[in-house]
Formats: sequence, C-alpha cells, structure tokens
Amino acid sequence: MVRTARLAGRVNAPRPALVVARFGGEPTQVNRQAIAVVREEWRVVDRWWTEEPVSRRYFDVVLESGQNAVVFHDDEHGRWFTQKA
Amino acid sequence: MCSQMIACVLIPGFPLRAALEARPSLALRPAALAPIEGTEPLIGPITAAAEAAGVRPGMRMGEALATCPSLVLVEQDPAHAEQAWEEVLRRLEDAGFAVEPAEPGCVYFETSGIERLYGGLERALRRALAAVGSAWDARVGAAARRFAALAAASVARPGQVLVVSDERAGEFLAPLPLGLVPLEPSRQQELRELGVRRLGELAGLPGAAVAERLGPDGRRAWSLARGGGKRRPRGRRPPAEIAEALEFPEAIDNELTLRRALGALVETLLGRPERAGRFPRKLAFTARLVGGGSWRRTVTLRDPTAEAPRLRAALGPKLQELPGPVVELGLELVELTESTGRQLELVPPAGTDLVDRLHDGLRQVRAATGTGSVCTVVEVAPWSRIPEARALLVPRDE
Repeated sequence: MVRTARLAGRVNAPRPALVVARFGGEPTQVNRQAIAVVREEWRVVDRWWTEEPVSRRYFDVVLESGQNAVVFHDDEHGRWFTQKA
Repeated sequence: MCSQMIACVLIPGFPLRAALEARPSLALRPAALAPIEGTEPLIGPITAAAEAAGVRPGMRMGEALATCPSLVLVEQDPAHAEQAWEEVLRRLEDAGFAVEPAEPGCVYFETSGIERLYGGLERALRRALAAVGSAWDARVGAAARRFAALAAASVARPGQVLVVSDERAGEFLAPLPLGLVPLEPSRQQELRELGVRRLGELAGLPGAAVAERLGPDGRRAWSLARGGGKRRPRGRRPPAEIAEALEFPEAIDNELTLRRALGALVETLLGRPERAGRFPRKLAFTARLVGGGSWRRTVTLRDPTAEAPRLRAALGPKLQELPGPVVELGLELVELTESTGRQLELVPPAGTDLVDRLHDGLRQVRAATGTGSVCTVVEVAPWSRIPEARALLVPRDE
C-alpha cells in the first residue's frame, strides 16, 4: 500500500523571543531591540478545561527601529514568544 | 478428487491477533477483543490463556470479567486489521492464488489452476500456508464444497493441511459440533434441547421439518450440514493502492476542522499521478483515534467521479460517525474505474487560462523544491483566540 502521511503545519506558530521586562511584566526590549511604545495589551486565557491550558499576556509594541511586533508571555511555562496575532 | 477442490485458509480470531500485534506480550495472557462502543457488550475472540481460564468468545463482558478477573480487554483496531488482512491476501495473490475473501481471517480459493504450478494439491496448500506466514497460525482445509473446506480448516491444527474428499465429506462432517454452522445462538440452543448436537444429527433430519421449525436459516444450516452448495470461489479484483493521511499536531474533534482536512485529502488524492485519470468508485475513510484505537468506513459511490465537491459531499456525513477526537485522518481509493472519456467545452470559460498558468507555476515550484513545498492555508478555527489554532498549512501535491 502506497501510503503517505503528511504533517499539517501551523500558521502563525509562536517563536521563542528574548525579552527584557519590567517588574510588572511589561516588556522593554524584544530580541535586543528597545521598545518605543506599547500600543496595546490583552490577555488570552483558553483551554483551561484541558491538560494543555493557555494563559498568555500579549503586548502589541513598536520597536525603536519603527518595526511593529507582537510578543506574549506564556504564563503556563514562564517564557516569552513573538507571534503574528 | 483433486480436480475441483475448494480450499479455505482460516486464521481464527484474526481481529484479535491483528490488535495484539501492537501489544505482543498480551498474546500469552488472558485477553479478549473488547466490543465496539455502542454495541451489545459481548466480547470477541479470546487468547488461549483466556480460554484456559474459562472465558468463551461471545460471553457478556461482565460475565467474562467475573470468570477471569485478570482478563485484559483489547480495543478493536479495525483499520490495522484490514491492512494486515490485505497484506495476507496480497501475499496469497503473489503466490498465484485467486482469492475470494469471506471475512478477515477466512479466505477461499480454487485449487485446480494452481495444483500444476506447485506439483500437487498438498504442495499448493503448503505454499498457501507459507504465503500467509507462520505468525498468524493459519490452517488450511480443502474439499469439493465450500462449507466442508471451512469445516476442515476449523478442525485443523495451526499449520496443518486437511483435505477431505467429496465421497467422505458426509462422514467427516457428521461428528463435528453444531456450532460450525452459522445459526443464531438461540436456534442452536433450541436444536440442542431437541437432542441435536452434531452436524450429522442435523443432516439426518428431514429438510422440510427443519425449515418448518427453524425457518430459512435453519434450512440453510441443514443444507450446510449435508455439505452445502458447490459454488466455486471467484478471485477478487485487487484494490487500488492510493492512500493519503493527514496527521494533526493535536487531537481534533470539531467537525469543521475535520471537513477541511477531508477536503485537503480529497484534493491531494485526486492529484496523485497513480490515479492515471481513473475515477474513484469505492473509498475508505480511516482515522487514528486519540486513545490509540482506529476507525474505518468505506463508501461506494453510485456513479464513479473525480469531482472533489461530489466526493466531499459523499464522505462528509461519515465524519459524524467518528467516536472521538482523531490524531490522523486518512483516505484510500479502494476501487477505481477505467477512464470513460469526458466531453470537453468548445469554448473554455473565462479565467481558465489564468488557473492553468497558476497550476503550471506551482508544478514548476514543486519540481524544483520537492514534495510538500507547496501548501494550502486551511482555516480550521477562524474564531479561535489562539492565533496558531486558526489555520493549518496542508501540503498540496496535485
């Protein structure tokens, strides 16, 4: 039997990021680039009824280079990621 | 004797043996095939250790567990069983046997054509056993009639070949237990209460009286006990070999996602070059479930078609029968019909040229970068608050 199994990939998968944050959790640097302004902040809490709950704090930021970025702190694993939200 | 023989290759408890391939250590322990969810809680085939502990196939699950508390219930794996059975059939076909499968674990073939190839009936049957492989504990029976061949295979030991001549078939069948004929357990019990416990005793009754008491099924059982019909086995048409599967990063149970995945599978299968312009008539839909089990449904189309929307419409409703979340969804083209030609348009509709160019471009990219390089974004849960859960990238190799 000629059988091919393909793995469906994810669109907008989170990428690990190097983020420096203040005590309150607000980021000041993303991947060694300073943040000029935090435009928006929101929380995503989902799948709390599963074994893989999602609890994230998102920040829509503008870097000093003028570039836009969205970063989030994964509260479940204590790590930072960038993502196209 | 050997000119018109029918052979039966039997692998008792095939679905259980197939399910145990993944857990071979259970083969030596008391184990039974669990019933399918939603059906009557009767256990299926059992291992020798379970039989020694007093468990019997067809027992109620509660009774079986009370009889043998250490009994392990093995979840059914129909997709794997079907695949393993297909491999057995193919090995037999490769050895030259034109097989007619009756059910997983039981297959018939006619020996007249193959005897000359292997130098006699016994040698041909030994070759069939070798083709099946020793791991399955297969046995072979041969007789002039189908039922006698099945009965011979049922009483043979693993790896044994048992040939019954037509003249001695009645004598051979007479002492065999009544359980060999396909008859409802309640009917079998009725016969036992009447003192009929052996095939010979059933065969000795007047046919009309049996039909009157037990109906058409009883009449058929009576006919089988006397040797049964002489219908010759007809070699099957081997199924097509085109299959695709899609593995998910996590278990999926929402219907929209599954429908999108089905759409992607249909497109990919129709694009496979092995299809060679033929139209699917029969398809098999498979799924690997999150708990480790599997699921399989076959769909036969009234009119063979290679139109993706019609295939999706035919297969879509089957998704509702999925018993739980799936981690892999698969689609197989089981039977293809020859190309019948198609009426082309005199003037192609507007936009066709552009679509053709796009397809050409994608084909070139694929040729340059390899399989899986061209993907389609399939929206699966656009409402999700988690960005990466909204869409999947599905490889497209049309």
